Amino acid sequence: MREVSIVGIGSTSFGRHAGTPIEQLAVRAAVEAIADAGIDRSRIGAVYLGNFVSGPLNGKEVLAGLVADQLGLPNIPCTKVEGACASGGIAFRHAVLAVASGQCDAALVIGVEAMTHAPTSQTTSALNCAMDNENDGPSGLTFPGLFGLAWRMHAQRYGTTREQVSAVVRKNKSHGLRNPLAQMGAELTDEQIAASVAICDPLQLFDCCPTSDGAAAVVVMARSRVGEALGRPIDVLAAVQTRGAARIAGHPDLCSFDATVSAAQRAFRDAGLQPGEVDVVELHDCFSIAEIIDSEDLGIVPRGQGGIWALEGRTAVGGDVAINPSGGLLAKGHPVGATGVGQLFEVVRQLRGTHPNQVPDARIGLTHNLGGTGVACTVSILRRPA
Amino acid sequence: MTAAAQAVRLIRCADCGRLDTPGRIVCAGCLSTHLEEHLAAGEGTVATFTTIRRAPARFRDEAPYDIIVVDLDCGVRVTGRLSRASPPAAMGARAYAADGDAAGLVFSMER
Repeated sequence: MREVSIVGIGSTSFGRHAGTPIEQLAVRAAVEAIADAGIDRSRIGAVYLGNFVSGPLNGKEVLAGLVADQLGLPNIPCTKVEGACASGGIAFRHAVLAVASGQCDAALVIGVEAMTHAPTSQTTSALNCAMDNENDGPSGLTFPGLFGLAWRMHAQRYGTTREQVSAVVRKNKSHGLRNPLAQMGAELTDEQIAASVAICDPLQLFDCCPTSDGAAAVVVMARSRVGEALGRPIDVLAAVQTRGAARIAGHPDLCSFDATVSAAQRAFRDAGLQPGEVDVVELHDCFSIAEIIDSEDLGIVPRGQGGIWALEGRTAVGGDVAINPSGGLLAKGHPVGATGVGQLFEVVRQLRGTHPNQVPDARIGLTHNLGGTGVACTVSILRRPA
Repeated sequence: MTAAAQAVRLIRCADCGRLDTPGRIVCAGCLSTHLEEHLAAGEGTVATFTTIRRAPARFRDEAPYDIIVVDLDCGVRVTGRLSRASPPAAMGARAYAADGDAAGLVFSMER
């Protein structure tokens, strides 16, 4: 297998783009990524597009082909990839594999979602298709509810407190203020978080990511060919995908997602690195408690210490390891299919040293994208070349 | 005198004996298609719970309601609703399957 690099990145802002057709968001991000790469379009040999609900919410399918047509690309394979909230991360992995295997020298990855135009009930119904609707769905469980269940177990086992979880919210909302592409950065107090609308105990409104529109794109290329590109290349050391339990009954432990644990272990093995060597992480904080669980599952923070590390500022920019300097899903936003690609966009900016909320001297970065009730997961590790 | 808890409908593989929640097409343990209905004793311990205050459209009229995850004594973990008539849920406490006032499984903290 050949070594692969990211040579171009592009992104729209995440937030409200109601009235903008979904393929227009995708095209804007893709054009930016191709221009950043500085390669001719004819060099792109495959397109992988991550998206979750363009059918039900936008009435559009074969989206990868529609977008490639808009971009005037050759008659190359164009594939839409769906893995709920992990769709973007999975699209990236497939593009890396296409280049690594020698199928093509360069591939375009796009993640896109347009959701804010739809009524909340329609959006919720579409997203709930990712739940086990035989056993979990009939109870009236929601995705925030899943993380309410997880929070209670984490609190019981490790003593995680409201104050610790609020530290995650305050950090990511504050990080978001420093990212012009973020949907809702803010400086919040513990009192404001606790006083926000109750969603499902113990989650308040500020514990939940917003509904978002947006797109992000990256161009991956065989490392042996990066001399053709203008964009500063970033090495891809690992691009791993795993499966976890598709229903609550299958999770032996709701304080942990086994798909994340196995993806991280495989990714660190592929990269030849230890979790302690990571400088910057963009992980799947769809809900505040998820960041605590994810950071432990990835091995970035010791088991049970996620809340403590957040409260002590060890996961902020300037701490031991910067988690979600972009603002994460909580503040940057969560245009579902775009999220995983957006995380790669953010980490590449960190490793190039051009991020508006820069982690000093970031050399190793990690992205983590989780879908459904933990049924799909990707972990990627990137490195700034020496 | 307390009544027995309701039985919980599970599935059991006739070939390998694996118990599982309904909705399986084949046994996830051995791929057998010989799955039969299995009525398990509706008793177990509370693994975790939450109160849904913002519900999906089809459950909106019922909110707020409590979701409860119960580890049945037979070893299978199930998701259900806490009965409105029940005392509040507590982590690690005993829970008992009860008559349904919701589409799926319903539990109560007392028999």
